[in-house]
Amino acid sequence: MIAFDLALAAGILLCAVSALTRRDRTASVAAFMVLGLLVALSWVRLAAPDVALAEAAIGAGLTGALFLRAARRLGPLRPAAGRTLAVPAALVASGLGGGLAWVFASASPPAIYAPLVAASLPESGVSNPVTAVLLNFRAWDTLLEIAVLVVALLVANLLGSRRLVPVSLGEMTLPFARIVAPISILLAGHLLWQGSSAPGGAFQAGAVLAGGLLALVLAGLAPTGTLVVRGALIAGLSGLAVFLIAALGSEALTGSLLGYPNRAEKVWIVAIEAALTLSIAATLCLLFTGFEKRKTS
Amino acid sequence: MTTLPSVLGTGLIAAGVGFLAVAAIGFWRLPDLLSRLHVLTKADTAGLSLVALGAACLTGTPASILPLGLCVLLTAISGATVGHLVARSVTPRGGRS
Amino acid sequence: MTSDLVYHVAGAGLLAIALWRLATCRDTLRRITALNVLAIGIAMVLLASGHDPATGVTNPVPQAFVLTGIVVLVAVTAALLALAERLEGSSDE
Repeated sequence: MIAFDLALAAGILLCAVSALTRRDRTASVAAFMVLGLLVALSWVRLAAPDVALAEAAIGAGLTGALFLRAARRLGPLRPAAGRTLAVPAALVASGLGGGLAWVFASASPPAIYAPLVAASLPESGVSNPVTAVLLNFRAWDTLLEIAVLVVALLVANLLGSRRLVPVSLGEMTLPFARIVAPISILLAGHLLWQGSSAPGGAFQAGAVLAGGLLALVLAGLAPTGTLVVRGALIAGLSGLAVFLIAALGSEALTGSLLGYPNRAEKVWIVAIEAALTLSIAATLCLLFTGFEKRKTS
Repeated sequence: MTTLPSVLGTGLIAAGVGFLAVAAIGFWRLPDLLSRLHVLTKADTAGLSLVALGAACLTGTPASILPLGLCVLLTAISGATVGHLVARSVTPRGGRS
Repeated sequence: MTSDLVYHVAGAGLLAIALWRLATCRDTLRRITALNVLAIGIAMVLLASGHDPATGVTNPVPQAFVLTGIVVLVAVTAALLALAERLEGSSDE
């Protein structure tokens, strides 16, 4: 298997160089998306399927779509200026990278957290350790992460990012959207439910749902009125609201923030995750489609 | 060890990998976009379907056959649609309308 | 040489490439891409250091960090791209 690992690592580095040096914007974005998929594959090799799922759906899919949209709007690459710094920058960067590789190769990993998580896993209410960490042991971090998502949504809203107006893509995209959108809803529900015991969870489910929604938007099947956008904005903000209400509710019931009542942990976790799935899907979708049809003035 | 399903599964996976290798070589060697697209959409879908069929033979449980079938269905649809869209973007009158 | 080490080195390599491009590039979109590659490199180093080859299990705490990081990164990328489009749009006209 070491040969496969070496080939994969070489492919990842080649894609990264290609994504960051190609002059053609579309080629560079394509290389970035391939990089995301290869990285997801390497994370499966590192026994982290939860993260690999998220990277494949969000890192490769949605980020790539965002980059393609921006590439179209920003126009061709500007001519490079200031070549003088290239050599010192290359030296410093390779020194940092080499030093990091050496440090990690020579250090022995601390084995504190994994046994701790394994020991308290039965109390968490779920059997997938990653979900237990995300929504029980370190639920605070996840709450703040959702706050970051809300801030990004509000920034994009305040900037009044231009609404995406899909060009008609022809008859062929209609059956695609009609098949993919229902399957993505089913898949999102499956990932959400499965997340408590196997790889999956709110982030992966939200990303898959956002992908299905975007297929509908790009095929021109989704309604695009101002009311719909406003409703999606409210749905995007509701994740943080539900999470905060759950935090306050658990404080009132058990006396500790996000310390769920005994033996009802799974219900609380799945309920929060369901709200997060909808909110993440709406947020990601809105961040891609933009908010208002601003006039080009 | 060498039961019929395992032999069949390994053979199917080998055939699928062969198809994918042919697709990769074709993508590398063929001159223009349309012929590359021709290789990618057909050989890739066939290769992936064979690999999935082989994997289904090897595992043999309904719980694994269903997601594998879904994978094949989704890649087949998206491959066909993306191929159509890419081809449409380069044909002279396909750009708009 | 184990597979963990391969991915350590690959993660460090991604980090180095991204830092180099961040320092030498003027183009906004290219820099945002470099930021994404940087985050992937860091995530890879984190996951590789959390992987225990003896048991084949990866530490769930770095996994949760990386998962959080991916979602935060896509939100930050979208906000940055909205800013970039706004800036370029205003400088053009």
